[in-house]
Amino acid sequence: MDSKNYYEVLGVDKKASADEIKKAFRKLARKYHPDLSKEKDAQQRMAAVNEANAVLSDAEKRAEYDAMLDAPRGFASGAGNPFRGAEGFDSGDFQFRRQSMGGDADYSDFFRQMFGDAARGQRGGRAGGPRAAMRGEDQHASIELDLTDSYRGSERMLTLHGQEITDEGEVRSQERQLQVKIPAGVREGQMIRLAGQGGPGYQGGPAGDLLLEVHFRADKRWRAEGKDVYMPMAVSPWEAALGGSAEVHTPAGTLEVRIPAGWSAGRKLRIKGKGLPAATPGDLYLELQLHIPPATTEEERAAYTAFAQAFPQFQPRQGA
Amino acid sequence: MPHTTTVHTTTVQIIDDDSLDAASLAQACQRNLDWVQARVVDGVLTPSTGTRNPDAVTSWRFAATCIVRARRVAMLEHTYDADPQLAALTVDLMEEVLELRRRLQR
Repeated sequence: MDSKNYYEVLGVDKKASADEIKKAFRKLARKYHPDLSKEKDAQQRMAAVNEANAVLSDAEKRAEYDAMLDAPRGFASGAGNPFRGAEGFDSGDFQFRRQSMGGDADYSDFFRQMFGDAARGQRGGRAGGPRAAMRGEDQHASIELDLTDSYRGSERMLTLHGQEITDEGEVRSQERQLQVKIPAGVREGQMIRLAGQGGPGYQGGPAGDLLLEVHFRADKRWRAEGKDVYMPMAVSPWEAALGGSAEVHTPAGTLEVRIPAGWSAGRKLRIKGKGLPAATPGDLYLELQLHIPPATTEEERAAYTAFAQAFPQFQPRQGA
Repeated sequence: MPHTTTVHTTTVQIIDDDSLDAASLAQACQRNLDWVQARVVDGVLTPSTGTRNPDAVTSWRFAATCIVRARRVAMLEHTYDADPQLAALTVDLMEEVLELRRRLQR
């Protein structure tokens, strides 16, 4: 991680006006927007941009920060590096994206040490009030799972780098490992709440929660829509026309499927209760796709010719 | 050196459809209840149950996906001092793009 100061993060001069800071912040917020940016470290950069803006857009905090930058001793202690010990998560065998909202819990050790609870008053007008016990902020991240994890349930070990507040009120770096059991039946877009694993509480208040937004990893074999699961299933022309039975490997396991006779484009076979597990489980839909074998040998060409001769009335482009 | 603690989590809870009340939604997006109430009344956020009548705030329940939407709206409002309707319009477009991208992946 870079060790730029807040002015460098926003790309502005130390003498920049409030308007210039606002413009620079908005430009970077667009560039590193977590939903749009293609840059790998967009989440961390957005958190850094939020933090820099939180300080430089507030005249009081900015003055305090400028005074610290001008005091070489304070800077040499490492306190001037806003990214030292920045909070984040380690990924294991899955993608774990951090979503920064610019909340207090998203800020670095440096920020919290320097400005403390002042950050909490930014949006709620709570700064300067009585220092009562307050619940820590909820933190958000997204977790990417395979669809099969939802069928069987799974276990993940998450490593979180954050801070804790000691009994003496000091902020201390903390690394936590969480063993998370993902229950069977989780669906795209659902939230998994890990109670008490979010930002630390203040003045004895409870910690916030960690909320994991569930996403399924893209898989050409299948996809989920709510509790229902869809997957393509290849059928031969004779299976499509005459019906038959076939063994199909589905996320619910290997199933023996009966293909009814008669073909129509877009046909789906519904297998009740083989979608994602739930009190009322979803259904599994097999989307039939006609696969035509190539005619490469003399015998195969003869078979197609005989096939054509058997259907002299068939007009595939009729009405087209 | 960071202090390391190993925690075995057992308290995993799925936030399912319609299981989130307005106060929890406000907490999840770092806003207060008034903010949620105003966004529902204005049609920016939609509870899965209940009407948009602000007096019915205690009966409102939100789907988990509403957390993501509310956070996006809140972030846009905060970053750009955006009007809530403009933030909602932007989020509508973002959701549309995400849905189209999902379809492309199929």
